[in-house]
Amino acid sequence: MHDPDAEDVAGAGRGDRAATARLIARHAPKLLSVARRMLGGEAEDAVQEVFLRLWTHAAHWQPGRAKFETWLYRVMLNQCYDRLRRRPTQPLEAASDVADDTVPADTRLEANAQAQEIARALEGLPERQRAAILLCHFQEYGNVEAAEMMGISVEALESLLARGRRTLRTRLAHLNDFTGERT
Amino acid sequence: MSGEISDRDFTDRMVKRLPQEAPPPGFEAALLAAYDAWREARPHGAGAAWKAGFARFADLVWPGAPRWAPGAALAAALLVGAGLGTVLPAAAEDAAPAFSLEQPAAFSLSSDQQEDS
Repeated sequence: MHDPDAEDVAGAGRGDRAATARLIARHAPKLLSVARRMLGGEAEDAVQEVFLRLWTHAAHWQPGRAKFETWLYRVMLNQCYDRLRRRPTQPLEAASDVADDTVPADTRLEANAQAQEIARALEGLPERQRAAILLCHFQEYGNVEAAEMMGISVEALESLLARGRRTLRTRLAHLNDFTGERT
Repeated sequence: MSGEISDRDFTDRMVKRLPQEAPPPGFEAALLAAYDAWREARPHGAGAAWKAGFARFADLVWPGAPRWAPGAALAAALLVGAGLGTVLPAAAEDAAPAFSLEQPAAFSLSSDQQEDS
């Protein structure tokens, strides 16, 4: 299994700044994008913490044991779960019940409001269902890779995906202009 | 499917509506600066090597978890193991069999044979 990051990870471990910059450019935007959907405002801190872990491990990274990107996402998701658990509990239902009557008439604003509504519905999902949806639909990873990133079996991932998709569909069913056929 | 889309396709369409936000300006530079700072402050010596080794082991067991979590899990496992190690042999002694292959036999065939002769 060829890992496109292996050389740069080894370089980062040796103190090679250019290799480090390449790793950051390749992974930071994608990690931040998922972390934002998982955590909101704390996302940047979480990604910084992930990269700090990376520097600590880079010198001892053993290529071939696991794909680097998989490991990176796994660390990031565990960071997210940990931060979410430290937060005070919020009622999940509240997330999807907002802004029904605040959709502006203007089409662009409407699309923006609908995007916000989708984001809120996503935020209302349990953390592991949300992670599964983000990895498979937002980042477009395959089920096998996403399951490895989450540290679960493919069957468990598929179960999380099925439940997450069903909940999202229930909560967003009124956005039928996106689906075309549904009422 | 009678014209109705699957949950998978519905979710796909919904999630695709979410904007892919770019990182804030300077975010990558800040990460690189953090790398420089880490490289400068990288500890040296036996203590530092031991700490780094523990950190790597902890991340191997539980990637990304807070530092105390793998230690706490290990401590809990040790406690359970020590508890079982104490309780189970005592329970086994109570239920000891009435005879043992390691004990000398309480009777002998040879004495019976002598009586016969």
